[in-house]
Amino acid sequence: MTSPSPVISASSLTLTLGTAAAPVPILKGIDLAVMPGETLALLGPSGSGKSSLMAVLTGLERASGGSLTIAGENFTTLDEDALARARRGRIGIVLQAFHLLPTMTALENVATPLELAGAADARERAKTELDAVGLGHRLDHYPQQLSGGEQQRVAIARAIAPRPPLICADEPTGNLDAATGQAIVDMLFARRAQTQATLVVITHDPELAARCGRVITLADGMIASDTRD
Amino acid sequence: MTDASAFGWRGAWRIARRDLSARFKGLRLLLVCLLLGTAALTAIGTLTAGIQGELTSRGQVILGGDLQVSVWQRPLSQEELRALANNGWVSQGTRLQAMARHGDLAVPIQLKAVDAAYPLYGALTLKDGRSVRNPPLNQAWLSQDAADRLALKSGQSFAIGSKTLTVGGIIANEPDKLGEGFQFGPTIIVDARFPQAAGLIAPGSMYRTKVRLAINTGQSPENVGSAFQREFPNQGFEVRTRDNASPGADRFIARMGDFLTLVGLAALVIAGIGIGGGVTSYLDARRQNIATLKILGATSTDIARIYALEIALAAVAGSVVGILIGLAITPLLAKAIAGLLPVESGLVFSLPAVLLAFAYGVLVALIFAAPPLLRARHVPAMALMRARIAPLARDRLALAVVGGGLLALCGLALATSQNWQLTGGFLLGVAGMLGLLALVGWAVKRTAASLPRPRNPVARTALANLHRPGSATGALVTALGFGLAAFVLLTGVQSAIEGTIAKRIPQQAPDYFVLDVPRGQAQGFGDLVRTIDPKADLRTVPMLRGAVLAFGPPGQMTQVADMTSIPEDAWALRGERGLTFSDTVPPGNAVSAGKWWKPGHTGPPEVSVDEDFAKAVGLKLGDDVTFGVLGVEKTARVTSFRRVDWQSLGFNFVFVLSPDVLKDAPYNLAATISLHDDAARGPLLRALVKQFPSSSVIEVGDVLVQARNLLGQVGLATLVAAGVTVLAGIAVLLGAIAAARSQRSYDTVILRVLGANRWQVLAMALAEYAALVLVLGAVALALGSLGAWLVVVKLFELDWLPDWGVVLATLGGGLLAVLAFAVLGSLPLLRVRPAQALRTL
Repeated sequence: MTSPSPVISASSLTLTLGTAAAPVPILKGIDLAVMPGETLALLGPSGSGKSSLMAVLTGLERASGGSLTIAGENFTTLDEDALARARRGRIGIVLQAFHLLPTMTALENVATPLELAGAADARERAKTELDAVGLGHRLDHYPQQLSGGEQQRVAIARAIAPRPPLICADEPTGNLDAATGQAIVDMLFARRAQTQATLVVITHDPELAARCGRVITLADGMIASDTRD
Repeated sequence: MTDASAFGWRGAWRIARRDLSARFKGLRLLLVCLLLGTAALTAIGTLTAGIQGELTSRGQVILGGDLQVSVWQRPLSQEELRALANNGWVSQGTRLQAMARHGDLAVPIQLKAVDAAYPLYGALTLKDGRSVRNPPLNQAWLSQDAADRLALKSGQSFAIGSKTLTVGGIIANEPDKLGEGFQFGPTIIVDARFPQAAGLIAPGSMYRTKVRLAINTGQSPENVGSAFQREFPNQGFEVRTRDNASPGADRFIARMGDFLTLVGLAALVIAGIGIGGGVTSYLDARRQNIATLKILGATSTDIARIYALEIALAAVAGSVVGILIGLAITPLLAKAIAGLLPVESGLVFSLPAVLLAFAYGVLVALIFAAPPLLRARHVPAMALMRARIAPLARDRLALAVVGGGLLALCGLALATSQNWQLTGGFLLGVAGMLGLLALVGWAVKRTAASLPRPRNPVARTALANLHRPGSATGALVTALGFGLAAFVLLTGVQSAIEGTIAKRIPQQAPDYFVLDVPRGQAQGFGDLVRTIDPKADLRTVPMLRGAVLAFGPPGQMTQVADMTSIPEDAWALRGERGLTFSDTVPPGNAVSAGKWWKPGHTGPPEVSVDEDFAKAVGLKLGDDVTFGVLGVEKTARVTSFRRVDWQSLGFNFVFVLSPDVLKDAPYNLAATISLHDDAARGPLLRALVKQFPSSSVIEVGDVLVQARNLLGQVGLATLVAAGVTVLAGIAVLLGAIAAARSQRSYDTVILRVLGANRWQVLAMALAEYAALVLVLGAVALALGSLGAWLVVVKLFELDWLPDWGVVLATLGGGLLAVLAFAVLGSLPLLRVRPAQALRTL
C-alpha cells in the first residue's frame, strides 16, 4: 500500500516583488508538504509573508523560484490563465472581506465557480451547499441584503461547492464580531470534515489556530516553526 | 463531473446577464453617447432617403411625363413630334422669361405656356377647388406670388407682351413645379398659343420648348429617349426621364445628405471618446469583481467575453433607442430645411439608413470600448489582496482591433457616400483636427504642470486638477474642442458668405438682367435706358443657346453623348448653355493662356474657354469643340483660356466664340443695367415693358434674396447637425466629471477638514472649468477660423469677411453651456458631509 501524495508540495519556494532595480524579497525559501485532510494554521506577525504564501499556494501569485505542486498539478510553470483554470475544482478560497459579487444573488454567487468549471448541475449543487450552511431561505438575496456572517457563509459555500481537495481561508473571521466569528469557524470546520478537504487558515487568532492539527509560524518570509498536535 | 471547456460564450452570457443592471447603471454614458450619434445619423439618413425616394417615386408627376424632350429657341419639327407621338400621348409647351404689367406695376415673371393635354400626370388645381388644364387663350392661371406682386385678383385684367389677359384663377398646386427647376420670377400659366400671339417669340428669342410624353407602348422611357436621340442626333435636345426628373434637386439632396451624414459621423466619433471613458470607468469599478471571478477560476478570455457581452448589449440598446429617436425627430429636421425642398418628406422609414446608423454605432462602440475592455483582461486576481495595484499595461491586441475598426468605419463611409472625394477629404480633415486637438490637450496638461504653483490653495488645486494623473483634460479638449470649433467654422463660413453678398456683390452686380433685346434695336434700347438714368452703366452681349456635342484633339474628339458621367467642374457639358461671340476679351475676364483673335477675325472659327472647365475635361490649346446651335453643328479651335470672375454677376460665359462663327445665327442681345439713381427703377421697368414688350427683365435683388434664404437654411441644417457634436462633447464632459467624482469627493473632504467652506469648493470647480473653457475657446476660435478661412478663401474663392460678432456670440454661447454643465455636474460635491465621508474613506 502506497502513502497518499501531498495536496501541497512546495520546495525552496521564493517570491520577490518590487522592480528589478529595487527587488523586495517576500518569501525566502519555503519547504512545505501538506497531506490530504490536514488542517493547517499559518501564524505570524504582519509582514511575515502569510498572505503572500497563501497567494502563491492558491495560484493568485506566481512564485519567483522553487517548485510547487497543488493536488497533482505543477503550478510552477503555469501562466495566469492556466493557473485560473487549475484553480477550478481544485482550490476553494475564503477571504476576510468576503468578496461576493454584488450584482449576483447568494445562489448565483455559489453557482459561479461551478459554472466556470462547466458543471451542468451548478444551480442544484449551489442550492444544496447553501442549505448545508443554513442559508436555504436566502437563495435569492443579494450580498447587500445579507449580514456579515451570512455573507461569509455564502463565501464558504462558494469555496466548498466544487468539492476542492484544498480550501484556503485568509482571516475568515477578521471582519466579524466574536460570536459570529465563532459560528463561522464552527461551520467551516464542520463542512471541511464532511468533505475531507485539506484546510489552510491564515489567522492572528490563537484559538482558531488551536483547532488546527498543524501550526506553522512564519517570520520574515521563512518558516520559523512547524508544530503538530 | 465538470467540463471546463463548456463555459464558453454561453457561460459568459449567463454571468454577464447577472452582472448587468437592468437600468444599465454604470454604462449610461455609453448609452447616451451612442444614442446621440445614432439618433443624428438616423434622422439625417432617413430624411435624405425619404426625399430621394419621393423624387424617384413621384418622378412622373415631377417631370410631368415619362419622358421630356426640351430644346432652346425653336419648336420641335413635325417629324420630331411624330417620332414621340408614336410612343404615347404628347403635351407640348414653352417656357420663357417675360414681363407682366398691371397698372403701374411691372413684374418679371416665368411664363409657362401649356396645351390641352397638360398635365399628363398629376393635377393642376386652383384655389377655388377646380382641377384644370390649359387656360383659354385670353386667360391665365397665376401663382399666388405673381398675383400678390401684380396686385391682381381673379377676374381682373393685366398684360403680357402685346396682349391683355384675364386672371382665370390662382394656382393651388402645380404638379411639375419641382421639375421646372430654378426660376427667375413667379409663374404664370397661359395657353400654348399665347407667346406667339403676344409677340414674345421671334427668331433668336430666349425661349425653351418642352415636349412631354406619357408612354402607352410599354417601352421604357430610357429606350424611347435613346431611340429619339439616335434618330435626331446633335440637335441640342435635352432628354430627361421620370427616373431623373429633377437632377439638380437630386444632386443637391445627395450632396447635402453626404455632408450632414459626415457631420453626424463626426458627432459619433466625439461620442466615442465618451464611450471610451464610460467603459473605462465601468470596468475600473468592476476591478474587484473581475479579480473575484479570476479567483473563482475565470480566465482572461472568460473576462473579456463577459464584459464584451455586457458592453455589446448596452451598445445595441443605445443604438436602437437612438435609431428610434432619430426616426421620431426626422419630421422636425424636415421642417427646419423645408424651404430647401419643395417636396414633403413626412414620416418615413429607410432600412438602409437605419442599418447604416446602427453599423456606425456598433463600429464606434467597438473602436473606443476595445482598449479598456482588452486591458481589463489583465486585472490580476491579486487585486483583491492589495490595496493599490499598478496601472494596467496597454494591450497590443487593442491596436489591431482599433485599427481594423477605423478601417471598417472609413470604408463604410466611403462605400456609402455618393461623393468619395468629399467623404475622403472630410475624414482626413476630421482625423487631422482630432489629432491636433489631442496634441493641444497634451500641451495644456504639460503647461499646467510646469506653471508656478499658486499660493492660493483653491487656485492651486484647480490648476493641479488640470494635469493630475488620470485627469480628463486631454479627452475634454478633444471632445469639446471639436464641437466648438465646428460651431466657429460654420458660423465663420456662413457669415463670410453673407458678408460677401452684403458688402461686395451690390457694388459689382447689376440691378437688372434683360433678355431678348432685338439685335436691331440695340441703339434704341441704350437710348431709353440713358434717358431715364443718364449715368446708368449698360452692357449688351449677343446671346444664344447651344450645347457642346464633342471636344478634344482634332480627329480624336470625345462625344459628350458617349460620356457615362460628367465631371463636377464640367457642368457646362450638361444640356444647352449660353453662348456669345466677341471681338474683344469680355470685361472681368483675363486671358490666362493662348492668344485672343484679332478684331474683325475672319479666319477659321476660334473659341476661348474658361480655364476651370478646360482643366476639368482636359482640354488643350489647339483642341476642337463642336457646338450644336439651333440644330446646326459648329466646330471651333481652342485658341485661348480665360480666367472668369464668376462672382461679378455680369454676363459670364464658359465659351466665347470669334464673331464669324455665330453672326449668321438668329440671336438677340442680353443686357445688364447698373443704375446710378435708385429712383429710376420704377420708370425704367415701365418704359421697358412699354417699348420692348418681348424683352424680359430679371431683378438681381430677388435672386439674391432667394440665394440668401437657401444659404440660411443650409447653414441651419448644418448647425443643427454640428450641435449634436457639442451635445456629444457635453456628454463626455459629464462622464468625465462623474468618473472623477470619487477622487474629487476625497479632495473635497480633505479640504473641508482643513477648513475650506462650500463656496471655496465651488470656486475650485469654477476656477478649474473656467481655465478649461478659456483654453477651449482659444483652441476652437483658432482651429474653427482656420477651417472657415480655408473653406471661404481657398474652396469658394470668396473674400474673407466673417461677422466676428456672430462668430464670437455663437462660441460664447457654446462655452457658457459647457461651463454651466460643468458647474451643475460639480454641485453634488457640495453635499458631501466630511464626517460621514471620512468613515467610508
